[in-house]
Amino acid sequence: MLSTLASASSPVTAAPPAPLLEVRDLRVHFFVREGVVRAVDGVDFRVNPGETLGIVGESGSGKTVSSMSIMRLVPPPARNVGGQILFEGEDLLAKTPDEMEALRGRRIAMIFQNPATSLNPIYSIGAQLGEILRWHLKLSRAEADARVVELLTLVGISDPATRLRQFPHELSGGMKQRVGIARALLCNPSLVLADEPTTALDVTIQAQILELLADLQARLKMSMVLVTHDMGVVARMAHRITVMYAGRVCESADAATIFNAPQHPYTRALLESMPRIDQSYTGTKRQPLPTIAGRPPNLLNPPPGCRFHDRCPEASAECRRLLPLETTIAPGHSVSCLKRGSEGIAA
Amino acid sequence: MGTARYIARRLIFSLCLIIGVSIILFTMINAIGNPIEVLLAERPGITEEMIQAVTEYYGLHGSVTDRYFTWIWALLRLDFGTSIIYNLPVSEMLVTYGLETLKIQVPAILIALCVSVLISVLAATRQYSRVDFGVIAGAMVGHSLPGFLLGIILILVFSYTLGILPSYGAYSTRNPLWGSDMADALWHMVLPVGMLVFFNCATLTLLLRSSLVDVLRQDFITAARASGLPERRVVFGHALRNAFIPVLTYLGILFGLMLGTAPVTETVFTWPGLGALYIMAIQQLDYPLIMGATMVITVMLVTATLLTDIAYVAIDPRIRLG
Repeated sequence: MLSTLASASSPVTAAPPAPLLEVRDLRVHFFVREGVVRAVDGVDFRVNPGETLGIVGESGSGKTVSSMSIMRLVPPPARNVGGQILFEGEDLLAKTPDEMEALRGRRIAMIFQNPATSLNPIYSIGAQLGEILRWHLKLSRAEADARVVELLTLVGISDPATRLRQFPHELSGGMKQRVGIARALLCNPSLVLADEPTTALDVTIQAQILELLADLQARLKMSMVLVTHDMGVVARMAHRITVMYAGRVCESADAATIFNAPQHPYTRALLESMPRIDQSYTGTKRQPLPTIAGRPPNLLNPPPGCRFHDRCPEASAECRRLLPLETTIAPGHSVSCLKRGSEGIAA
Repeated sequence: MGTARYIARRLIFSLCLIIGVSIILFTMINAIGNPIEVLLAERPGITEEMIQAVTEYYGLHGSVTDRYFTWIWALLRLDFGTSIIYNLPVSEMLVTYGLETLKIQVPAILIALCVSVLISVLAATRQYSRVDFGVIAGAMVGHSLPGFLLGIILILVFSYTLGILPSYGAYSTRNPLWGSDMADALWHMVLPVGMLVFFNCATLTLLLRSSLVDVLRQDFITAARASGLPERRVVFGHALRNAFIPVLTYLGILFGLMLGTAPVTETVFTWPGLGALYIMAIQQLDYPLIMGATMVITVMLVTATLLTDIAYVAIDPRIRLG
């Protein structure tokens, strides 16, 4: 509402709309016997209304933990140790467990990676989706069934009335993921978190599911956080992209900037290591697919300086000493790199 | 494959199983030796005619196959013969002693089930906490403690030292508690039931806790939480029903074998139950009693197994009968 007014009053200057979700300096640490693993260590990102944010990074970069902590569902031994998660202006980290329960599934919902394991095997589709509606919206059994049928139709499931009585094992993988998407949309949430929603699916099904998600996102004007390691997926889906590495944000910008004018050396390396259709990696004229040499640092005792310094082609002595802070280099484009003008702190 | 057809098939299979057990039982009892000799051994003044008469009284004349079919035919008419030691109809004894055993076993299993569900939830939702380790340690102790030891401790504490609970028997011989037979029976049940609850609880908790820990790690539990369902419903509605599936088999065996699995409890508390009677019958070679009790326990176990399989279908839609 506010954002519409704002954009209407200033059509030319287009001030950035109030973000739906703003994560500031989020810190989630795992307290294990060997010490403290800094899985998420000072992460900032924002999601604007009606926009899809892609969070990209390799395994262990903290992207999944970040999305789980928006739900306040990080499992022990992980614990949120700092930061703010502002959702529609309210700090989720300050909410009571009861307030979070009322919010989950209703205003923020989640789509899971593996459709085979994220549906309860012993309840029918209608029972487990209906339960959520009856709990949150106090619908009757019949009203809940009608709403579930409506949602199953929306996600492209044929014969939804029959599916209602079926169990997860009676559906195919792609169908189960559609049910997972329908579950997330039951209460019309304003934010949907999708954690690798296509990774566990066949390639042909992946395309269908991505298309469905993009279509639903546009039609329902919802905001989405799409967590993935797949650059191809974010290229298709995301309006804005946040690149994460070793528990920190490297770069955040709109999708076109990330793909056409990446600034952070990690983002550049990541894009270079994507296979290209016009390049031959086999045969006589082959050249190897570029990779990023080395491994991500151990987050148990991260080395001082920039997390990426030992793999970075541009690293200098100060990169080994100073941790770069996120700096805005252009409107809507921020980067954390001493070589791009970021300030550094000794840490 | 319809449920009815499946059940019919299983019934036929169960019948074959019971017949098989009856053949093995009959053969083994025959192999032990002539019970009449045991019965009349070292008694003065036994004549050949008396042996003949006793043999015919117990139906031990004729060929082995003849005797087997005579026995089976009698079984079908619920005639289990006469106990050699007690000189009472075995069918009557099985009912009297069996009911006494059920009186402590059924409440013990049901109470243990409820208690172990609560303890398992408490432990599994706090995995690796002090509560969890305490529950595991307690269950391990209960699992490995010799049965008679706990019985003796209970008697020592509650009967001998505190003097508030009876140490033996199912009824007072005179002066029932508060003048009420009902109260008196319940009063006598407390210690034996308590002991059985403890042991059942230990095993059930070990099984259910580990199963619950596994289920609570599953994605669909996180998904249920992410859907905003309250923790109570996530644990009891979504996790517990899944966690119960592997425990069902054990529960079926517990119910199926309950007539014969309490001999230690029954001995420690001098409870007039079937388990203790069964052991005694074996020691004294009271063969009609041994055979009768064995057949009753077999039928119970086979029935319980069948019911368990049907219960699986009710609880887990992935299982198809066929």
